[in-house]
Amino acid sequence: MFFKGEPDYKNAGIGLKKMMDISKKTGNPAIPDFFIRKEKHIEGIINFIEEVIPKSYPFSIDVTDPSVKLQILELLHEKNLLHRTIYNSIHVGITDEEREALRKYTPEMALIVAFNPKDKSPDGKLEVLENGAHLTDSGLLDIAKNAGIKKLLIDTAALAPGDNSGAAIAAIPVIKEEYGLPAGCAIHNVVEKSKWLDDFTNSRKTVDASSNVNIPLFGGDYAIFGPIENAELVFPTIAWQDILLSEYTEAYFGTEPVDFHPRRKLL
Amino acid sequence: MNQHFITTVIGSYPVQVDTTDLMKNYFNQTESSWNKYIESAVSDMTAAGIDMVADGQTRDPFINIFTRKLKGCRIRDRTEIIDKVEYDDPITLDDQKYVRELIPKDKKLIGLIAGPYTLMKSCVDLHYKDEKELAFDFAYALKQEAEQLQKHVDMISIDEPFFSNEMPDYSKELIETVAKNLSCPKRLHACGDVSAIVPKLAELPVDVLSHEFKASPQLFDAFKKYDFPQSLCLGSVRSDDPRVESVEEITNHIQKGIDIFGDKISQLAPDCGQRLLPRDVAFQKLKNLVQAGENVNG
Repeated sequence: MFFKGEPDYKNAGIGLKKMMDISKKTGNPAIPDFFIRKEKHIEGIINFIEEVIPKSYPFSIDVTDPSVKLQILELLHEKNLLHRTIYNSIHVGITDEEREALRKYTPEMALIVAFNPKDKSPDGKLEVLENGAHLTDSGLLDIAKNAGIKKLLIDTAALAPGDNSGAAIAAIPVIKEEYGLPAGCAIHNVVEKSKWLDDFTNSRKTVDASSNVNIPLFGGDYAIFGPIENAELVFPTIAWQDILLSEYTEAYFGTEPVDFHPRRKLL
Repeated sequence: MNQHFITTVIGSYPVQVDTTDLMKNYFNQTESSWNKYIESAVSDMTAAGIDMVADGQTRDPFINIFTRKLKGCRIRDRTEIIDKVEYDDPITLDDQKYVRELIPKDKKLIGLIAGPYTLMKSCVDLHYKDEKELAFDFAYALKQEAEQLQKHVDMISIDEPFFSNEMPDYSKELIETVAKNLSCPKRLHACGDVSAIVPKLAELPVDVLSHEFKASPQLFDAFKKYDFPQSLCLGSVRSDDPRVESVEEITNHIQKGIDIFGDKISQLAPDCGQRLLPRDVAFQKLKNLVQAGENVNG
């Protein structure tokens, strides 16, 4: 949310309600992600989160500007929101100041982007998690743990076709097997920015959906999508895939779906 | 005395990678170029006055540069060997071509290859269970890289730091596998104290032997006991100590080398790669080395 332009809180509230409704209807949990681009947006967006998101509910803070990250962490601490915060994200671009801020104002959860500019294969993603690929002084997992962050999500760093695109999907079961951590990716970002798809404008949403179904198919635990208006397309698509997989895995492995699984909603 | 040595480097050079920029490009789904880091290393070497420069090995530690691109290797905390090691595509060729574009016509370029024995010893072998077989597969793969490089560089350096710990009986054959029939001159670099293995080094089929005479001054005595066919690259400033040696100190060191080895000295260089030094220190060491070389050359 709030990825482009000035934050539109009225429409954001409407979008959030629609997403939570469809989440309830399909059975797939939703966690809102708030993109904060500029310093001037920090207070307004954090206030919006306090007002709109239920008190027991987690949310994700998505920031790229290192200096903005530091201010947000301090404000989340002041407002006693760090225990509900997913810090999006820790990656090889982490600064010393950011590490210090994370130690001081530690969020409960963090998303780790396993992007390795030296090697975009699943092996490269493991390398950057384990030792930082000599771009950081230690692996990204250790950086997060040393900051005291308890719960980690791994983003397998989706890339465009022609640039090792399949690696982000292939890395999902590899990372889950290796670390037992939940994994997923933001493949919608690749679809959205694809110049190749400019020649096939009517196909972008279909390609987005078809890319996203790979995430549950390969055992992914979450899919990051956007903007929030796409919720009505994304939730049934992922739920459909979850049901398909569940019926198969129960027949083959005897694995029964949990109580809130989309398949329970179907029955 | 009219000496005919040149100043050069062993390989790596310090670089500050802008990881924030790399991530910014990732989020925008744009490709990052490594050229600016190569350029920063090369421009320091040329500005310092080095005659024969290298690409600075800025992409990775020198083992990973090769194992990242060779089949059969995967990088974890260390490189693991999980299948037969084979050459796939050129590893450092594009970087060498880029450096050639950057440097003036009167500068030379040295291509760098991690030695097969050092690669073997640096990896965790989960496939071969036979050190010699793995070392030779590395050698066959590196030979193909050397063949790619030979048309684009003025010399190829094979870096075998592990030789100072242990030099196996098959060392000559191993280095020959990489170096044989290459059209450009070859250098073997082994840092550490190689005093005990000088006779074996003398048998290697290379044109230049490169060692850290500054950190290990006992090498002067060790080498003067033997007749060796190669010329020497005289390590003249330390790579493991941030203290910048004065021009006078380096001049005296070079003069000592000339007094002992005469025109056997063909190259002056730092003792080893400079990757772990602060950039300003690495640059000043190169600058002082060049100045000292000019003092001795007259």
